[in-house]
Amino acid sequence: MAEEIKKHRPPPDPNSAKYKLGQIAAKAYSDAQAAKDRGEPVGWCASNFPVEIPETLGLAVVYPENQAAGIAARGGGARLCEEAEGDGYSNDICAYARISLAYAKLKSAPEQDVPMPDFVLCCNNICNCMIKWYENLARELNIPMIMIDIPFNPDYEVSDEQLAYVRAQFWDAIHQLEKLTGKKWSDEKYKEVMEYSGRTSRAWLAATATARYTPSPFNGFDLLNHMAVMVTARGKKEAAEAMETLLKEYEDNHEKGVSTFRAEEKYRIMFEGIACWPWLRVTSTGLKSRGINMVTTIYADAFGFIYKDFDDMCRAYCKVPNAINLEFSRDKRVKLCKDNHVEGLLVHTNRSCKLWSGFMYEMSRQIGEACDIPVASFDGDQADPRNFSEAQYDTRVQGLMEIMEANKEVG
Amino acid sequence: MNTQEILNRFETVARDPAGQKDKYLAAGKKVVLMAPVYCPEEIVHAMGLVPMGAWGGDMELRDAKQYFPAFICSIVQSIVELGMRGAYEGASAIVIPSLCDSLKVLGQNWKYAVPSIPFIPMTWPQNRKPDYALDFTLAGLRRVIRDLEAATGATFDESKLAASIRVYNEHNAAMRDLVPALAAHPEITAAQRSAVFKSAWFMLKEEHTALVRELLSGLAAASPAAAKCPVTVTGILADAPGLTALLDEYGFQIVADDVAAESRQYRTDTPEDGEPLTRLARKFQAMDCCSVLYDPDKKRVEHIVALAKNSGSRAVIMAQTKFCDPEEFDYPLIRRACEDAGLPLIQIEVDRQMVNYEQARTMLETLREAL
Repeated sequence: MAEEIKKHRPPPDPNSAKYKLGQIAAKAYSDAQAAKDRGEPVGWCASNFPVEIPETLGLAVVYPENQAAGIAARGGGARLCEEAEGDGYSNDICAYARISLAYAKLKSAPEQDVPMPDFVLCCNNICNCMIKWYENLARELNIPMIMIDIPFNPDYEVSDEQLAYVRAQFWDAIHQLEKLTGKKWSDEKYKEVMEYSGRTSRAWLAATATARYTPSPFNGFDLLNHMAVMVTARGKKEAAEAMETLLKEYEDNHEKGVSTFRAEEKYRIMFEGIACWPWLRVTSTGLKSRGINMVTTIYADAFGFIYKDFDDMCRAYCKVPNAINLEFSRDKRVKLCKDNHVEGLLVHTNRSCKLWSGFMYEMSRQIGEACDIPVASFDGDQADPRNFSEAQYDTRVQGLMEIMEANKEVG
Repeated sequence: MNTQEILNRFETVARDPAGQKDKYLAAGKKVVLMAPVYCPEEIVHAMGLVPMGAWGGDMELRDAKQYFPAFICSIVQSIVELGMRGAYEGASAIVIPSLCDSLKVLGQNWKYAVPSIPFIPMTWPQNRKPDYALDFTLAGLRRVIRDLEAATGATFDESKLAASIRVYNEHNAAMRDLVPALAAHPEITAAQRSAVFKSAWFMLKEEHTALVRELLSGLAAASPAAAKCPVTVTGILADAPGLTALLDEYGFQIVADDVAAESRQYRTDTPEDGEPLTRLARKFQAMDCCSVLYDPDKKRVEHIVALAKNSGSRAVIMAQTKFCDPEEFDYPLIRRACEDAGLPLIQIEVDRQMVNYEQARTMLETLREAL
């Protein structure tokens, strides 16, 4: 038996962005638990629900999608999915939903606990699956559900009618929460949240845009971790500061000619889709071992929530990925590919996400054509480890690499 | 026509939607396709166009695989498959609502897969009950009108909409009357019952109402056959010939349904008061108990139990369209509610590509024996 070799890692630098961002993500859970312990109401919140609302009201919320990703990354995905399946949930249903519904029943998971909710905040701008999932949470836990419907927009622009409908729902949600929790909306506090959100978003966009440098100063898998803060905490001062630190680090890396991608960057790709959390190391190593750096994802664009007022904020929530049509989705990705000198597109056909994967075949064909880059896809799942084949992933990545290599030789 | 001839007529129409389309086209009418689950058909009708349902077909998928991964429901995939194979040629447009994630991707893929038939989106609000949802619903309806005018050259006149609303409300009433009338006649097979509902998608509603009323008169004068085992069926679709044949073979009679392509369409009338377009929007606001409509109180679950109890059903059969997550999310709650009510429930997975019904056979056989 081989002797175990323990790597001695240096203690994390408390001034680093990675440390700060990790702390913010962890604190979101501990703050919510502390609020629960104080007897305050706590919510479970959809990832693209307007975070500004609970933040301005001073309400503690946790994000079941982040929790499910965390559980899946730490190996608990199959156990909780199977628990939900035992209760009659089909294994075709989104694995985040299955994990969350199982957790709502078990109320405990060693991989990532969260306080049980007193209300749920739902927004379907990422998918209608959210509605069904949160309806069932509310019903099973016998708690109120606050719902903001942001319809899938078949057009390129947000219409005045859609804006009015969404704005009315934002205020409706605010008033329902005021009544439910006794907290009061403050315009002053909102302005502060909006400013921090803008600062955080600007820093995020600038940090992710440093991928335009060759080599990129970061490994794109970093973004998958950091985006949790963008989703849940971007209206907080600490988030703004941490993202500004991240930007500075990436710029410094570029100046020094170093990168968090710990290999020679031979190829640059865009990764499409949610990460395969149960197989994060495998998917990351499969790229790194070939010198492939995932320099960008749609997340780089998606969380740039910069808005000037309440209406503009409503519009921003109407433009998140999965709420917009194929052409708008395509154009955003084409821009990312071109800005960041992407040489190939790797698409995760995610069994859990019908909406994200459902028009990806056509869209990725169009992106490949517009950018003159090869496209490869693999089958996987964001949280159910049973829907991924390492061998298929390896073959597809190898194929993509070979075409990128051939293109370099021609070019 | 006698009852059998009327039933034969429904079956002919249900089996040959392309023939119906060609008949209307030959008569100089323009046809507009209506995708699942709810479309503002009354508007299409009021513009002098023929709305025809497009819920796909039982077939092997081939070309649609260029657009969809395997885990998108086969209703949506077979709609594109039929479109790519030219089955809908001659139609002037297709209206696709975005009521579930698979329907959202259907609209986006349609634009590229079947460019010869324009895609008209209908965006209904999910948060449909509050007053503020009315304006948004109206905006969605007006957008459909604009796109229909552009695609067909027809014009919209609100006074004509009032007349079409009457036609549709009368059809709703006829279809609601049909359910207990069929329940009183066990000799009507599941396949025949399915054909009556399915044919409604391929006929002008005034024509269908007349035929349904004729059937009702015929049934009123007929003596019922011996009782079968009464059941309630729920799901998106229950029209697969393999499934209806098995229901008949094992002596089940559908006495009530919560099927999206069947009775869910006819529960809610357009209200009488107000401007016609506003009334149509109000109708959508009033709709409930459906897996693709936001249902925070899960009223659908209680609705199914009540439907089964009130119709004297001895069991509930859920025809689960594979990969339909709105239905899949409801199933555990329906299962528990049926258990609590002492109602046996079976969930049979159905698929537009299904050729082997052995699993369904075993489940139905077991249920029949248990009852």
